[in-house]
Amino acid sequence: MQDRPTAAELLRDIAATLDERILPLLSGNEQHQVRVAANLCRILEREARLGPDLETEERSLLGELLPDQPADAPLAELNAELARRVATSDDDEFLAGAHAALVALTGQKLAVNKPGYDRFDFAGEVPV
Amino acid sequence: MSGAPELETTGDGLARFLTGATGRATTVSDLRMASAGARRRNVLFTATTAGERRELVATIIPTADVQIQPVSVEAGAIRLGAEVGMPVAAVVADTDDPSWVGGPFFVSTLVDGESVPRQILRLVEADPALGPTLAHQCGAALARLHAAPLDRAPAGMEGPGDGHTPASFALEALREQMDELLQPSATFELAYRWLRDTAPGDDRVVVVHGDFRNGNLMVGPDGLRAVFDWEGSRLGAPMSDLAWMSVRMWRFRNDHLPVGGFAVVDDLRSGYEEAGGTWDDATYHWWKVLGTFRWGLGLAGQARQHLDGEFPSIVMAASGRRVAEMEHDVLMLLRGAWGRS
Repeated sequence: MQDRPTAAELLRDIAATLDERILPLLSGNEQHQVRVAANLCRILEREARLGPDLETEERSLLGELLPDQPADAPLAELNAELARRVATSDDDEFLAGAHAALVALTGQKLAVNKPGYDRFDFAGEVPV
Repeated sequence: MSGAPELETTGDGLARFLTGATGRATTVSDLRMASAGARRRNVLFTATTAGERRELVATIIPTADVQIQPVSVEAGAIRLGAEVGMPVAAVVADTDDPSWVGGPFFVSTLVDGESVPRQILRLVEADPALGPTLAHQCGAALARLHAAPLDRAPAGMEGPGDGHTPASFALEALREQMDELLQPSATFELAYRWLRDTAPGDDRVVVVHGDFRNGNLMVGPDGLRAVFDWEGSRLGAPMSDLAWMSVRMWRFRNDHLPVGGFAVVDDLRSGYEEAGGTWDDATYHWWKVLGTFRWGLGLAGQARQHLDGEFPSIVMAASGRRVAEMEHDVLMLLRGAWGRS
């Protein structure tokens, strides 16, 4: 275990340093790059904080969809297996379940990368 | 920034080119860079011929290897747009010869107005009637373009190719991009099979703009003044233009207003239909899903280009973390497609 500051704390502080100390000194393309870098630090700060819980949740969602897969398989393999089955399955029930699970899995990624983005659900734009 | 000497050389090249193209001695002054896009440079300048001054814009493609299609095709599409009554910045001259100013380019008239999306949305906030007007004008402009006789399309304009409908052609390109993903995406596989299974069979092609959206419109308080950025123009499906301007990326956080963040779909649709276009809801939706999906693949491709060293950039790297936004949008648009959820 590392001494404090934790990874999340440091990333938060790097983002603040870039935003408050460095950005005002720059313009144009350099300013844009630093703004993007600061935002990536905030993404990683959330990842450091939320990551462990999100992984547990992801494993449980994938486990329900792929009950025949080893429970301790790497997440990358489980996700690749899901992609394969989604591409080849002809079972609408499975595909509907996959769709629902993918909404949740994508929501997890957005909780890290862009919180709030998934509040919009295109109500009224989906054919019934 | 070493803009000044470069601009001076550009000015000399433009003066020589315009003198040759118009057959009248032309001088060029007051050169300034407008907002430079990722690949092309827009240079504003004053051209003086026999004492008469004109404000013009040169759109220069700096390196030939990033060109999507020859400038002559793009300039021809803009001329066609003008001919059928679309508001455009009229083309004065164009050349595929890169020697004048360091890249192929075309010169067009300067149209005054606002083109920055958030600023356009501010104009609409200030005048609530402007949003519907603008969407109506966009629909009408596209209906006119789509009604252009195909034999008026610029020589060399690309289309779906033999044996393809616009939809099957777009799907094939999508599959190629999917096969290059660094990790498979179950969401994209799901979207792909839906697109494949529901693809419109319509093989009719028209001249499409190819990138018709908030961001490529010049707008004033009076409404639509010009449609620009025609580099993606080609032969394609009419509904693809209408759907593209309705994907979430171009709403600039005004998510509840599908058309560019400034209007509801009915405003676009009525403008299109009143100007003679035929609207189809299912095809519109299909192209909206495809456009969102393709943007997601583009973002993933940028992250790949960063990671494999082809184009290392923190901005390209960040795109990888935006793919999930497009996955979410695609999943929402496909709600109910398999009976529940």
